Amino acid sequence: MKAQQLKIALRNCGVIDPEDIQDYIANEGYLALASCLSGPREAVIETIKKSGLRGRGGAGFSTGTKWEFAAKPESDKKYVVCNADEGDPGAFMDRAVLEGDPHSVLEAMAICGYAIGADEGYIYIRAEYPLAIKRLHIAIAQAEEAGLLGENVMNTGFNFKIKLKYGAGAFVCGEETALIKSMEGNRGEPVSKPPFPATKGYRGKPTNVNNVETFANVAAIINRGADWFSSIGTEKSKGTKVFALAGKVKKVGLVEVPMGTTLRELVYDIGGGILGDKQFQAVQTGGPSGGCLTVKHLDTPIDYESLVAAGSMMGSGGMIVMDEDDCMVAVAQFYLDFTVEESCGKCVPCREGNKALYSILNKITHGHGTMQDLDRLKELSAVIKGASLCALGQTAPNPVLSTINNFYDDYVQHVVDKKCRAKKCRALIQYRVVEENCIGCGACKRACPADAITGEIKQKHFIDQEKCIKCGACHQKCKFSAIAID
Amino acid sequence: MDKVKNTEQLKALQSALRKDAEEAASRKVIIKVAMATCSIASGAKPVLDFFTEEMPRQPLEFIIKSTGCTGFCHSEPTVEVTLPGKDPVMFGHVDVKKATEIVNDYIKGGKPVAGTVEVSRS
Repeated sequence: MKAQQLKIALRNCGVIDPEDIQDYIANEGYLALASCLSGPREAVIETIKKSGLRGRGGAGFSTGTKWEFAAKPESDKKYVVCNADEGDPGAFMDRAVLEGDPHSVLEAMAICGYAIGADEGYIYIRAEYPLAIKRLHIAIAQAEEAGLLGENVMNTGFNFKIKLKYGAGAFVCGEETALIKSMEGNRGEPVSKPPFPATKGYRGKPTNVNNVETFANVAAIINRGADWFSSIGTEKSKGTKVFALAGKVKKVGLVEVPMGTTLRELVYDIGGGILGDKQFQAVQTGGPSGGCLTVKHLDTPIDYESLVAAGSMMGSGGMIVMDEDDCMVAVAQFYLDFTVEESCGKCVPCREGNKALYSILNKITHGHGTMQDLDRLKELSAVIKGASLCALGQTAPNPVLSTINNFYDDYVQHVVDKKCRAKKCRALIQYRVVEENCIGCGACKRACPADAITGEIKQKHFIDQEKCIKCGACHQKCKFSAIAID
Repeated sequence: MDKVKNTEQLKALQSALRKDAEEAASRKVIIKVAMATCSIASGAKPVLDFFTEEMPRQPLEFIIKSTGCTGFCHSEPTVEVTLPGKDPVMFGHVDVKKATEIVNDYIKGGKPVAGTVEVSRS
């Protein structure tokens, strides 16, 4: 039987009109908040704990326990923060939820506020998500007008205001302490924990930070019960997970599957298999903090522990499928390029170490690498992981390590043979005219931006390797398979 | 909208809204156009405009809704049409030309239109 999707966090996405609160109310909207407000706050935390819900931002910490930590301290002021600083390349789960079902997040934030004793919530959202911001503003105004947010919610005496804070697109601000710093108007730099935000967070007050998708699960859990939620998934990972399935799959899309679904089911049943029926090579999970998993991991069940054991991680839900035409060394370099750019610069191992890692990878993809470089990559990775303060640095080398572990032969081929199997690393490939196929039409010559191709019409053409910039334009233009890549 | 004063009122509002929706579904054509950022980027806006302009000219009762992401990135822009008493049908890669076919052939004529997207809901 083919694996099926199960929509909990995405239950209303694509179903309701996100700009009409009545559509949300018709679909059980704000019922969970009403039922929480009629009981003790401890009961809310107990339900969330019992459901087994874990943070969907990637780390997978128990949401109920997190709420409990924030509920404990006595304080005149507490805050609920929704982390909508989605930054992994290829990930768009949070945007979809906020654009498609903003009230589900608002309702859950109010429930959390009631549970921990906060009367103010902030959504820290990337300024690059203008439509999500617009819909959130509409949703907040409608909910306040309906008495479901704001002062004296449903005449219960509970107050809860939600405001937006815009992020400027720094990846590190997805880390909760950096996020709080940024909210306070400071540089988005992580600080060491403890103290945890639950005791000393935004403006020094107890603060609970959860990811968008985590919040999107809350109302469903309250409405249908902790037992229902914990009946879905695996022993330690309950419920479902949303993935932004991208890359070389036939059905690129935003999908939600029960925890425990295997990678194979996700790629082949839900994703419809590899584009052009090519060979599956790897699937990258966890974004720049995660790793590349291979054919031998295809039957790994998707849950927090299994993905870590396989050498990657759950992450926030980016899932990029790669086929035989992708070079894994170049993929590692791509992710590292991202981390180098996004490192906040506070910790030397992250700031300088990742740069050094990147330059070694650059050396390798340009055909100047040595076998010692492979050892250095591993050594340096261990230092960066061990000596960085926040998860950005601690996980930055993961794409390098997982590709070295799983695709060691590819690295060796780049270093020893100076070849790129996938023919993606420009410095290691050569375009050549296949003489028996060339009819001398001149299409390649006209396409070449470097004037590297010579030849008369109806005569065999020739590529001058000295002049060739390896852009591949000739290869794309040739209709007679007369340009080969070596 | 008036302020909701307690749980009972919220429940009453909910069932009233549901009843309205069911009643509407029994006699109206419901057209949902996905309008997430990605849908809009792939061309959903002119499709939505087409339906809002074209449907009032038809002798049919209808509701047009814009929704968020349906998850079918591979087939955006997507439009879901539910004829009264029928199961919803999701159309993919809808442009104005295809939207015209959907109105003329499927909505008015009840004939199938190519390019539907398989939706498995559990």
